[in-house]
Amino acid sequence: MYLILLLVITVPVLTHASIAVPITPMTRALYDFIQNLPPNSLVVESFDYATSVVPELHPQAIVVTQHIFMRPLKVLFVALDNNGPPLADAVLDTINKGNKSYGVDYANLGYIPNTATLIGMPSNIAQFLPVDTHGNPTAGLPIIKEFPAAKDAAFVITFDDDSSALYSYLQYWQGSFNIAVAVGATATIAPGFMPFYNSGQLVGVLISIRGAAEYESLLNQQYHCCLGISGASSAMVALSASHVLIVAMVVFGNAAYFISRRTSKREK
Amino acid sequence: MSSDKKMTREELGLQIIIFSLGFFYAIVYYIAVPGTVNLQAVSDQLLAYITAMLTAAFAIGVINLTRVHVNNIKRKRATWKYSVILIICLYAMAIFSMIASPYALDPQAAVIPASVIAFSTPIWEFLYYKILVNINSTIFSLLAFFIASAAYRAFKARSLESTILLAAGLLVVLGQAPIADLVWPGFGAIRDWILAFPNTAGQRGILIGAALGILVFSVRRLFRYPWGD
Repeated sequence: MYLILLLVITVPVLTHASIAVPITPMTRALYDFIQNLPPNSLVVESFDYATSVVPELHPQAIVVTQHIFMRPLKVLFVALDNNGPPLADAVLDTINKGNKSYGVDYANLGYIPNTATLIGMPSNIAQFLPVDTHGNPTAGLPIIKEFPAAKDAAFVITFDDDSSALYSYLQYWQGSFNIAVAVGATATIAPGFMPFYNSGQLVGVLISIRGAAEYESLLNQQYHCCLGISGASSAMVALSASHVLIVAMVVFGNAAYFISRRTSKREK
Repeated sequence: MSSDKKMTREELGLQIIIFSLGFFYAIVYYIAVPGTVNLQAVSDQLLAYITAMLTAAFAIGVINLTRVHVNNIKRKRATWKYSVILIICLYAMAIFSMIASPYALDPQAAVIPASVIAFSTPIWEFLYYKILVNINSTIFSLLAFFIASAAYRAFKARSLESTILLAAGLLVVLGQAPIADLVWPGFGAIRDWILAFPNTAGQRGILIGAALGILVFSVRRLFRYPWGD
């Protein structure tokens, strides 16, 4: 059984098999929100995932960042997980940054070490994150001179693997400063975010690597680019095959369970 | 210790600090004193001190870990070889991270020579992107095999409740597979409905219950630190 699972995952990935991905309303809502942000808005991207979920969340970060860089927006990268800053750098190395320049249009402010810093940032970014990941004084960056406080942000998206980052942003940034929030989540925790999406507190939810594939497809539809940039689209056949296999296994296990129960009843 | 027991002087002092800070942070959101004291600025400054305190706590953790594992090695305990690996990994990653990474202490080479940073950068990138990311992703990916195994061993329709849960789970799993949507678009619609209604209803109950619990615990803690009870 393990061998079958290994095959249904590895063969499609190695053969680059692809499949059309229907777009879910949560992904569409996030895409439309970013697409309709006013020019020169400040966006905060928060990398709040550990290295263990890179296959699920990193493709999301790549496609969303690519979209943001294709629009006239300013971006600050932060991280509530200590693995976040290098992962943000990896995303920046992957995407096409166009004519955006570091310090003016975007900056990587690094790790937010605790909730206290997150609470303080809306009133003064430079006080709580005094240097960026390159060692530049934050206060001297043109983007920070233009947006000295995070309360000026129009939108924050957290790529979150354990809920805590999203709850923090909802409590401290949206609750107090009405900043729009979205989340890119792993498949296991995404259902827990649906109350926030249904109440309008979240402008969109990307679910797992499928969310990244949907987003990649939307970028391709509008900009005719970026297909394959995150690797998510080429994983969809493997994802489908593994999910169908697991459903088949559950059906098989239950069929065996009912047959054995009926047999044992007859024997009694 | 029962909550009826009298506090010691030290406990009382700590309780006064907890109450004062907790009360201050609770009211700072609700009141503003224009022209006199900027409570928000005081609050921000106090928050900055928390960063320093947590950093010190983290350092204590590293010292403790080192002491435990160095003792393991000195006394040649059963797992001493693993302690050697842990100490090497801990300090190698920490040193290279402090020299060449987004956490570098001196990224602009004001003190550390640029040649040392240039030498360390590819090593740190290899350790982080090629080793750490892949090892962690691999371990997490083993979950797929656990789920596959559990699929036919544990997910049984033994009662009405478990049958409903199983059916809902299977429909969400199928809806998440793009191929199922292509076979019949209804799978996606059913998944969205399950997530939007039954799931949201259940999650809201859990969230509200947890929030009330946190509120009660916070108030209790403000007025009386639960010394061991």
